[in-house]
Amino acid sequence: MLKIRIIPILTFNGLSLVKTKNFNSTRILGNPIQSARVYNSRDVDELVFIDITASRENRKINLNLVKKVIDECFMPVTIGGGVSSFDDISNLLKIGADKVLIKTKALDDKKFIKRAVEYFGSQCISISIDAIKDNENYIIKDYRKNNKIVNEFIKEMNECEVGEYVINSVDKDGCMSGFDIELYEQCKKLTQKPIIAVGGAGVPEDFIKLINSKFYGALGASSIFHFTQFTPYDVKTSMKENNISVRV
Amino acid sequence: MVAIIDYGLGNLASVQKSLNFLGIKNLITHDKVQIKNSSSILLPGVGSFFQGMKNLKERNLVNILTEEVIVRKKKFLGICLGMQLIFERGDEPFPTKGLGWIKGEVKKIEPKGLIIPHLGWNNITYNLEKGFKDSLENNFYFIHSYHAKPKDFSCVNSYFDYGGPLVGSIKKDNIFATQFHPEKSQNSGLILLKKYFKGNA
Repeated sequence: MLKIRIIPILTFNGLSLVKTKNFNSTRILGNPIQSARVYNSRDVDELVFIDITASRENRKINLNLVKKVIDECFMPVTIGGGVSSFDDISNLLKIGADKVLIKTKALDDKKFIKRAVEYFGSQCISISIDAIKDNENYIIKDYRKNNKIVNEFIKEMNECEVGEYVINSVDKDGCMSGFDIELYEQCKKLTQKPIIAVGGAGVPEDFIKLINSKFYGALGASSIFHFTQFTPYDVKTSMKENNISVRV
Repeated sequence: MVAIIDYGLGNLASVQKSLNFLGIKNLITHDKVQIKNSSSILLPGVGSFFQGMKNLKERNLVNILTEEVIVRKKKFLGICLGMQLIFERGDEPFPTKGLGWIKGEVKKIEPKGLIIPHLGWNNITYNLEKGFKDSLENNFYFIHSYHAKPKDFSCVNSYFDYGGPLVGSIKKDNIFATQFHPEKSQNSGLILLKKYFKGNA
């Protein structure tokens, strides 16, 4: 049986690992290579590493550093941050990334995503969505304030046959008060593609609650792993005790 | 020396990293002499069946690989697309002729309400009747939308369950091929690679 994946999310600002709250008030956390090594030794299902300020600062991701992160990992790795050309994608795949995560370029250029899927294959093109509740709708938080509606964006990306979505709740980011169940309730109706739900997990029960809402995707988290005693293994053990299929 | 075949597709870096970690001598190559001089051949691959065959042909690799694996019976491991390509035909994205070392074809996984691609960790069940068992570990990482349908199921080494049993790996003579990614499957994968290349599996 296919397992529910539990995925640590590492966010990076070009210098150090960081953790945000509601995408603001950044806390510095240290060395990403060390973190990747620890998660590998803890046998996690998968890892996501994102340079969250690359697009805004008009930088490219540091390939030397990313290679060192990937070299620590004997599990699948998704890398994101400032990806805006075929060269960027190709460079990341060459150093061993399994999936490339794209946000800003996807908002700007649907045709680029379509061509990237055709060229590299849908399995390695993942789309990042940072959702924030705005009255009735979820809109995408974007530093240029385009206010694109999440539902519409998912429909556009479905047409491009992308491989996976990483959907972050900005409202829940770093709050450790549980996942935004309503957000994923909406999103899963819009696509048949795998979704990684991210944002808000604080205790193992939060993961169980989201799965019990009939969300069968993957679950990503960072604060719980950075700031509490719970490891991905603890989370999965709790899930298993609740008859959820996980890899432990 | 394991020749990891470079045909412009696939996660060569991860495959090499795993072999290096295990101390298995290897090189990434599409050079005929190096392939001839190798003791084993590893065909990795991520991408579409059509693109895979196109790239093998463009690099003139079809004949040399067939010669080394089918005629000279070199130890072979195919991973993901590298497993699919050894069949006679594939459908991704349209019908395409494959290497044809194993009779059968590669078809799209039928949705039945399932999420496609089949992505994540799944258990495999070894086909014990055939006496094949390569590892005690049975939890592997998959990412694919197409699956292999051999004509003769006696070559099936393992199955996984996704809306019914699908082929997880193939084993026939000197050919071993996995739909899953051992190089991405933590210890399960490392143990399997070690047993295959270092042992007598």
